Amino acid sequence: MSLDLQAVATGLPALWLAQGFLTSLAVTVIGAAVAFLLGGLLLALRLTPWRAASGFATAAIEVIRNTPLLVQLLFWYFAVYRLLPDTVRSWIGQDHGFGRLPQGPSLLSAEFLVAAFGLGVFFSAYIAEELRSGLAAVPEGQAEAARALGFSPLAGLLYIRLPQALANAWQPMIGQTLNILKNSTLASGIGLAETAYQVRQIESYNAHALEAFAVGTLFYLASGFGLARVLARLAPRNPGGGR
Amino acid sequence: MTETPLPASPAASPLIRLAGVTKRFGDADVLTDISLEIAASETVVICGPSGSGKSTLIRLINQLEEQTSGEISLDGRALASLSSEGLRALRGDVGFVFQQFNLFAHLTARRNITLPLTTVHGWSQADADARATELLTSVGLPDRADHYPDQLSGGQQQRVAIARALASRPRILLLDEPTSALDPEVIGEVLAVIAALARDGVTLIIVTHEMGFARRVANRMVFMDAGRILEIAPPEVFFTATVHPRARLFLDRVLSPLHGATDE
Amino acid sequence: MALDPGVILNNLDYLLWGRAPEGEIGGLLLSVIMALWAGVLSILIGAPLGVAGWLHPTLARRLLFPLADIIRAVPLLFLIFWFYFLIPLLVGGTAPGAVMVVVALTAFNTASVMYLVVAGFRALPAGQSEAAHALGFTPGQIVRRILAPQALPNILPSALGLGVMLIKDTSLAFIVNVPELTTVAGQVNGRLQVYPAEIFLTVGALYFLVCGALALLAGRFNRKRGVRR
Repeated sequence: MSLDLQAVATGLPALWLAQGFLTSLAVTVIGAAVAFLLGGLLLALRLTPWRAASGFATAAIEVIRNTPLLVQLLFWYFAVYRLLPDTVRSWIGQDHGFGRLPQGPSLLSAEFLVAAFGLGVFFSAYIAEELRSGLAAVPEGQAEAARALGFSPLAGLLYIRLPQALANAWQPMIGQTLNILKNSTLASGIGLAETAYQVRQIESYNAHALEAFAVGTLFYLASGFGLARVLARLAPRNPGGGR
Repeated sequence: MTETPLPASPAASPLIRLAGVTKRFGDADVLTDISLEIAASETVVICGPSGSGKSTLIRLINQLEEQTSGEISLDGRALASLSSEGLRALRGDVGFVFQQFNLFAHLTARRNITLPLTTVHGWSQADADARATELLTSVGLPDRADHYPDQLSGGQQQRVAIARALASRPRILLLDEPTSALDPEVIGEVLAVIAALARDGVTLIIVTHEMGFARRVANRMVFMDAGRILEIAPPEVFFTATVHPRARLFLDRVLSPLHGATDE
Repeated sequence: MALDPGVILNNLDYLLWGRAPEGEIGGLLLSVIMALWAGVLSILIGAPLGVAGWLHPTLARRLLFPLADIIRAVPLLFLIFWFYFLIPLLVGGTAPGAVMVVVALTAFNTASVMYLVVAGFRALPAGQSEAAHALGFTPGQIVRRILAPQALPNILPSALGLGVMLIKDTSLAFIVNVPELTTVAGQVNGRLQVYPAEIFLTVGALYFLVCGALALLAGRFNRKRGVRR
């Protein structure tokens, strides 16, 4: 069984792979941004004393975590996307000068937007839970000292407890970001031309499945490693230590 | 004889007043019928066995806990009626030092002091920084300003905690067993800082087991047991001619080498 | 936007068990069967590997953990692609799609089970095996009779969590057209075109019932342990 890397390193396959890699990275980064924003929002809802809001957040997290990501993507893509107004959808469908990655893939396509959104919603539930665990691990004395110094409960949360919660949760958050990268492959199920999609494209184009799978696998291993390194650099100082 | 200057004459109205204060946690009465008056610039030491309610008592004074009944007032104004704005002002006027220091772990020593000043009390960053430098110098840690709590020894952390509590220039400082969590060799450096505060005229209410220290700095000793105040006396009376039998028992135990146990 | 329940009722049997009456199991039934096979196999392989890894830390560090890390660092979908490619070569013919997906799921989950078992044993107080050793137990007896019974309650809730993930991961078979629940739902949606909300909400609800039940079980088990402590 010989390896003909030329078959995937030149011509159309090479272009497809390059597009796939960039699309995978872009949907991961944007999906992660959405996930962190929504995750923070979910956490805020869970912390409010207003029971309707915290109940909603808890229920949303349970539903999201107990249904497959792929089913959620299919739901957003087939059932919800078409509820957007016609004008919005046709604007997205048009060919714009902006919103394109190098090599051509468009960020302004239904597939990309739905994939980034769907990944974001799914992982927001996990991030909210990691942050909540991180918050629970902050010693009670920190909140007491904040009160004794005159901090309002909200100020105590924002300035004293959340920064430490984030430091506690950083390692799991890196893990979740890597999960977003790996789960971006599911977006091929709604037609996003990311790496998994392109790899199968090449398989049916010139039957060099082995080479395509190998290069694709290497991409995920290398990207995951690189992403973990970068995020570890950005870690906030963890006074709890141990991580 | 105590080193602390005598406070204002007893005829002056008290700074802090507790009247008939009780505190229940669930079914348990932690404090029963507490009445106490504290004058400005006084140093009061509260002592007694564990579980006597000493910590709960001082935590009521800055409203970290709320009393179940009875009145607590500062400058004649009842604490129970304070709004959240009023509570914030109260905590700027009443500093608190915890047994476990509770320094903000993610901030440097300097930021531990400046953050409350800028966010809670609206100081400018420049004023807050100047105040932090001044305080850190006064507690003997001018070169540790940019260290994080996990880089400081226990004694150093507690000194920073005291500096943090003093930043907003409170008239009153509450100290809840400030040296109980410290290794013996660093207790002295913290007690020295507290003794200096007593000399400077800050009103101090200290819960402590350090009887030698109490004898030197206290204007009055308050003995508590099982949620009640059993005896209040100046140290020269308390340590030599204590009246209440339980206070006598406590002192015998604390001051004798075997802590009251016999060796037969 | 009104939802039409009739659509679901008409297609519910297909969603639940696919073409089973005609001999081809599909739908939710196939999802559960695949998850069960992968779960049982990964425990049978992963648990002994975990014990071995705990008993021999150098072996774990040099071989078992790196292998497990690589398997877990690759997207599950790519594992499925790899096995789709390699298994026919090894077997010398075609194999059923569902089998190949189960193999991929087993590989992925075995790595997780192994880590879980190692963590469960590591969490035991150090004195346990020492005391057993001093009392004359053999290593095998120590693991089977002293350590495993104590490690199991710690491991079980997380193992149920892995079960939840397994059920959800069977949905990846959609990409390779194995007729489990998600694939079947896609087929129905492709055929009917105009009822995506009803179909995918129902499918989501079906998964939620199964996963939720497992999660509740894990939670109940945790609470029981808490009381006993």
